[in-house]
Amino acid sequence: MFIHNFKYTLKALFRNKMLIFWTYLFPIILGTFFNLAFSNIENSEKLEIIKIAIVENDKLKSNTIFQEAFETLSDEENEDRLFSTQYVSEEEAKQLLQNNEIIGYMILEEEPKIIIQSSGINETILKYVTEEIMQNTKMINELAENEIQAEIAIGNISIDYHKIYQNVRETIQQEEANIKNIAKSNLSYTMIEFYTLIAMSCLYGGILGMVAINQKLANMSDNGKRVSIAPTKKGKVVLSSLLAGYIAQIIGLAILFAYTILVLKVDFGTNLPLILLLGIVGSLAGLTMGLAIGTVVKANEGLKTGILISVTMLGSFLSGMMGITMKYIIDKNLPILNQINPANMITDGFYALYYYDTLDRFYFNLVSLLLFSGIMLIISYTSLRRQKYDSI
Amino acid sequence: MTVFRAFLRVLNKGKATIILYTIILIFFGIFNMQTSENSTNFVASKPDILIINQDKEEGITKNLMDYLKENSQIVEIKEEEQAIDDALFYRDVNYIVYIPKNYRQDFLAGKNPEIQIKSTGDYQASFAQMMLERYIKVANSYQNNIKEETQLIQKINETLAKQTEVEITSQLDTDHLSKATFYYNFANYSLLAGCVFVICLVLASFKDYKITKRTMVSSMSYQEFNRKLLLSNCLFAVVLWIFYGLLSLVLIGEVMFSIHGLIYLVNSFVFTLCAVTIAFLIGNLIQNKNAINGIVNVVALGSCFLCGAFVPMDWLPDYVLKIAHILPSYYYIKNNEWIKELETINYETLKPIFQNLIIILLFASLFVFMTNMISKRKQKT
Repeated sequence: MFIHNFKYTLKALFRNKMLIFWTYLFPIILGTFFNLAFSNIENSEKLEIIKIAIVENDKLKSNTIFQEAFETLSDEENEDRLFSTQYVSEEEAKQLLQNNEIIGYMILEEEPKIIIQSSGINETILKYVTEEIMQNTKMINELAENEIQAEIAIGNISIDYHKIYQNVRETIQQEEANIKNIAKSNLSYTMIEFYTLIAMSCLYGGILGMVAINQKLANMSDNGKRVSIAPTKKGKVVLSSLLAGYIAQIIGLAILFAYTILVLKVDFGTNLPLILLLGIVGSLAGLTMGLAIGTVVKANEGLKTGILISVTMLGSFLSGMMGITMKYIIDKNLPILNQINPANMITDGFYALYYYDTLDRFYFNLVSLLLFSGIMLIISYTSLRRQKYDSI
Repeated sequence: MTVFRAFLRVLNKGKATIILYTIILIFFGIFNMQTSENSTNFVASKPDILIINQDKEEGITKNLMDYLKENSQIVEIKEEEQAIDDALFYRDVNYIVYIPKNYRQDFLAGKNPEIQIKSTGDYQASFAQMMLERYIKVANSYQNNIKEETQLIQKINETLAKQTEVEITSQLDTDHLSKATFYYNFANYSLLAGCVFVICLVLASFKDYKITKRTMVSSMSYQEFNRKLLLSNCLFAVVLWIFYGLLSLVLIGEVMFSIHGLIYLVNSFVFTLCAVTIAFLIGNLIQNKNAINGIVNVVALGSCFLCGAFVPMDWLPDYVLKIAHILPSYYYIKNNEWIKELETINYETLKPIFQNLIIILLFASLFVFMTNMISKRKQKT
């Protein structure tokens, strides 16, 4: 009887086209959209070569420090290249700015002046670099002056001004800041989107279990009435139906994993067994949640599905699906909300595997998911056992 | 009137979904409103940084911290390693500076001590790194010559205080216009999803076998019936557009009462018309009421993701934007982006916007044509 019911429940589930669309196909479509839209975000946030112009005038020609500094910063072979610079007349520069071909231009009069269209990071950098060159000029002059004074003080009369000047300039340019980046390398935050997608898929999968159980409940379907009066233990029927739902769910999840890893190249970290374990436990949480909603809520299937989808979407929303910042805001300000949110447990588990070297946070999420599933099971059990109907 | 009343009854059934789309629009609209006040003066961009000082906050160490604080936004984060790492991952902070123990001593001794940092690697972090390097280089340069700390600090600050004059040419209220563009880009989802959902629901309800039979035997001619149905649906779409327009006046304010605001409204109106034709096409293609939700989501989310309604166009990969050319949403969103940058309003600057509006209308006529073809073929069978 167990195998018989299992087999037919599975068959019935796979014949339900809407169900298969929402649990199998929809996450894949959504994942594809995510990939199309988000794959370039992090690259766009890197500093790009900034297009600027410099007005060519006599002042500039006589100021080698400015000239050379901008040349080095615009040099295509320079690793730290910042600018792509055009040397033009003031009129041309104005025109370029108006056509948005440059973000701004520098004109050297008594002091340098920057003309830009609006405030922004690139504009700030142009301003900052110009100031840096001014500051360097000041430093070179002062330090060279000091040296010359020192030479005079010791009575040296044949001072090579040019050489001192040159030396000071070189020492200043050779100063290196001793900075070391110790950040972790896995910093790709758009991955969170795909983790929430897996989380959503795990919880959505609960619909499969719910539909399977609905077919066995006397107050839900004619099929359920027949099953209920059959001389079979209820436990057997419920368990085999649940197992069918779970298997269907795992197959969907396996397809989604394969698609995200192989096609979309989502980075889940390196610990494959734990990644899969989290997926399997996450699906269990979805299954038990579907079961609990299916048994506790006394309403038609449409409403039950509606509740399950709403809970899933709300959970996904709070764990960052519609904006990754959301997860951070909740984690930071109201952590309890995300600690009871199964979608976040799954998302955060993947995040912990991807970003952190230690596994504490991962296991915390895994245990939370198991606890959540246990609570859902107890709720379903108390509501399912000894059910009697006065009238159906 | 009977048709319209029936239409309203179906609409009433779908109201929860429409309200949901609207709430999403309002939520994201407001979520994005918390940006800074606009000004036509230059405002330097400030990266979000965090300083973890393991040295005593004195002398040169304090001065370094003061310099960083002045030129960046200091973020408040719990001083726990996990909280800090989370903040870096979610870009709450772009750059973290760890000032080591005995930094002051080692620096004054000319050791050029190592400073550890954590960087997200984006442009804000690159800028923060430029600042830190700048300070250290200036400090090192003077440190060789000036041994007395207060004098050294004074010299460093004097040098770093040198500023450039900046002139801004644009007088546009870019901040508010960006908000408007964000709102109307997002409305792409609400308008499209709203229209497709309601119109498909209505068409599917009227297509019910028994109901079709009843309308066929009624005294009303099928032409009149279709016209009334079309009118009701258009009315709904226009009401939705007016509602979202009014909402934008409340959410965005002032800027919407300018010519720019008017162009936003015109643009979204034309797009609404196009959304109605898309809805009719889909409504004619599907029979199953249960399929509506799936189709609405795929169509609306798809065109939003591909055309830059959620993620700004500048950030999308080039090939995605190329694909997006086959969708009307692309031209609608492109227009919104253009309106944002519209400095002077004349025939020359408005031309590309009009061109896009015409393209959207062409799409609309194409969809009408396709709908007619399909229903014609259906009638024959």
